[in-house]
Amino acid sequence: MIEVRNLSKIFKKDNMEVRVLEDISVTINEGEFVAIMAPSGMGKSTFLDILGCLDKPTGGTYTLDNVPVQGMDDDELSRIRNEKLGFVFQSFHLLPRMTAWENVTLPLIYSDSDSNMRTRAIEALETVGLGDRVSHLPRELSGGQQQRVAIARALINNPRIIFADEPTGNLDSTSGQDVMNIFRKLHAEGRTLVVVTHDKDVADQAHRIIEMKDGRIFSDHRPIREADEVTR
Amino acid sequence: MRLFRMGGQALGAMMENKMRTFLMMLGVIIGVATLTVIASSVLGARSEVMEKVEKFGFDQIMIMAGAGRKPGVPQPIPTTLRVEDAQAMLSEVSNVKDVTPQINRRDFPVKFGNKNSYALLLAANPNWASVWNTRVEAGRFISDEDISRLTRVAVIGPTIVKDLFEGDDPIGKQILVNNNPFEVIGVVEPRGTSPAGLDLDARVIIPLTTGQKRVFNQDYLFMMKIVLSDPSKMAQTVKDVQALLRERHNLPPGTEDDFTIVTPSQIMAIVSKVSTTFTLFLLLVSGVSLIVGAIVIANIMFIAVNERRGEIGIRRAVGARKNDILTQFLIESVSIATVGGVIGIVIGLLGLVTLSAFMKLPSTVIWQPMLLSFLSAILVGLVAGIQPARKAAAVNPIEALK
Repeated sequence: MIEVRNLSKIFKKDNMEVRVLEDISVTINEGEFVAIMAPSGMGKSTFLDILGCLDKPTGGTYTLDNVPVQGMDDDELSRIRNEKLGFVFQSFHLLPRMTAWENVTLPLIYSDSDSNMRTRAIEALETVGLGDRVSHLPRELSGGQQQRVAIARALINNPRIIFADEPTGNLDSTSGQDVMNIFRKLHAEGRTLVVVTHDKDVADQAHRIIEMKDGRIFSDHRPIREADEVTR
Repeated sequence: MRLFRMGGQALGAMMENKMRTFLMMLGVIIGVATLTVIASSVLGARSEVMEKVEKFGFDQIMIMAGAGRKPGVPQPIPTTLRVEDAQAMLSEVSNVKDVTPQINRRDFPVKFGNKNSYALLLAANPNWASVWNTRVEAGRFISDEDISRLTRVAVIGPTIVKDLFEGDDPIGKQILVNNNPFEVIGVVEPRGTSPAGLDLDARVIIPLTTGQKRVFNQDYLFMMKIVLSDPSKMAQTVKDVQALLRERHNLPPGTEDDFTIVTPSQIMAIVSKVSTTFTLFLLLVSGVSLIVGAIVIANIMFIAVNERRGEIGIRRAVGARKNDILTQFLIESVSIATVGGVIGIVIGLLGLVTLSAFMKLPSTVIWQPMLLSFLSAILVGLVAGIQPARKAAAVNPIEALK
């Protein structure tokens, strides 16, 4: 699904080179639920931007769904984001003037399949448990509900992978757990999820944890669950 | 279809901040409203004057007794222009097809029963109606027999019909002209107001001979109008007519003419000079308003792009191409300017209706100024929107989403 080889990203600023990512190689298979963990400012956002086709690597190769992505132009990357990827952000990023279902249809505006937009949006909202909130504006919804609208938006175009950047960072623990439960349900349905977080409780709910530090991967392991520790 | 969806997104953004959208429209509304009012009245006035010049005829020239005369301006006239001059022109100048001599007098009292009015009294020949391109709507015009027998008959205009008969049939009635009874034999079609502001419908036309002997007691003429066989030889004919009249009036070389020749090209020159000045003024006013409108739209669009960086980032993340963002913002500015333009045209037309209650404006609505206003509004939207839209398309989604 995702195959990254010797990936690097260098930012140039005032003749200074900042190596944000260095020599990263990783493979993520279809159906995996992966958490990427790192302290703030250690390159995990940049890594997610590149995986999400919002940014381009300085070096290395990135193959998404057997298609080499590096070297694609802006329009091609936009098309991949639209058709194959879904995004969930820390601060939800809903458009305040649009109702829940209108926000969910946003990816369809830029896709070639615009039939039954409202019906499809309502179906997506039902899968995240918001079937009774379809015509609410974001300001009329709680933080957890807004994040679930954002997840419905990420799902509407039936993407191959869902990327989430600190999806529970702005939520209280109950709402955060609701969101993680939805992710686990999506994973159980066979979807591929990549979640970036610095919260160990969130990462532990994934099935694989990639830890980064100073732009490199230093650990790639399955989570050690409390239940495992007890039985060990 | 994609374009329709972009349009829907743009309209949603316009509706979100209605006050701001209205303020963006305001410059275009004012610009287009002024453009509509001024363009309609100037073009309308010009077309009315042009119509009058056309009715005067491009194949005709006027000769007025006295030097330096202007049409419609009264002044004492010499006694030298005579019917014999008209006959000589017809026989001696080859390009002259027809001549109609006449005597005019303004504000001439006419009466019917106890009703009074003041007429533009014309003493004219039977060919006056054809030379002046004026139709007789009821009854008949002056005949050759009227001329030879000096009959007391009169053909009257619609204003006189209204003033003296209040809509009753005037044919066969006796009216008093200078206390002489005249029988009304016909009514001429309405001709409105002359370029000099004279009510042409308040006229009473009597036979030239009757006028000379029984009313004015003069044998000289006020003016004559000449129809040419070949209008392209206008300049040469004017010279021939001038030479003939100078010879007949015994004017020594070096002296001034005792008559004035008015050609359609002179009238056209006056009209087009006036309209050129107006057109320049019009272009200036509308141009300034529309430029101001464009600056306002561009400025607020720049502010909106900065405020909506988050929105742009979201749209880019879910798959909008740079061109989609550009299109959306361009549709916004063009729609705002176009809606402003339509509102401006409506306000301009209402303004024209209101203004026409206070002053004389052309009654017909002309579509050209409205099309011009509409297209200018679209252009303003495009010009004002292109740079903000390009800035929106260039927003880096990664930074916008932080």
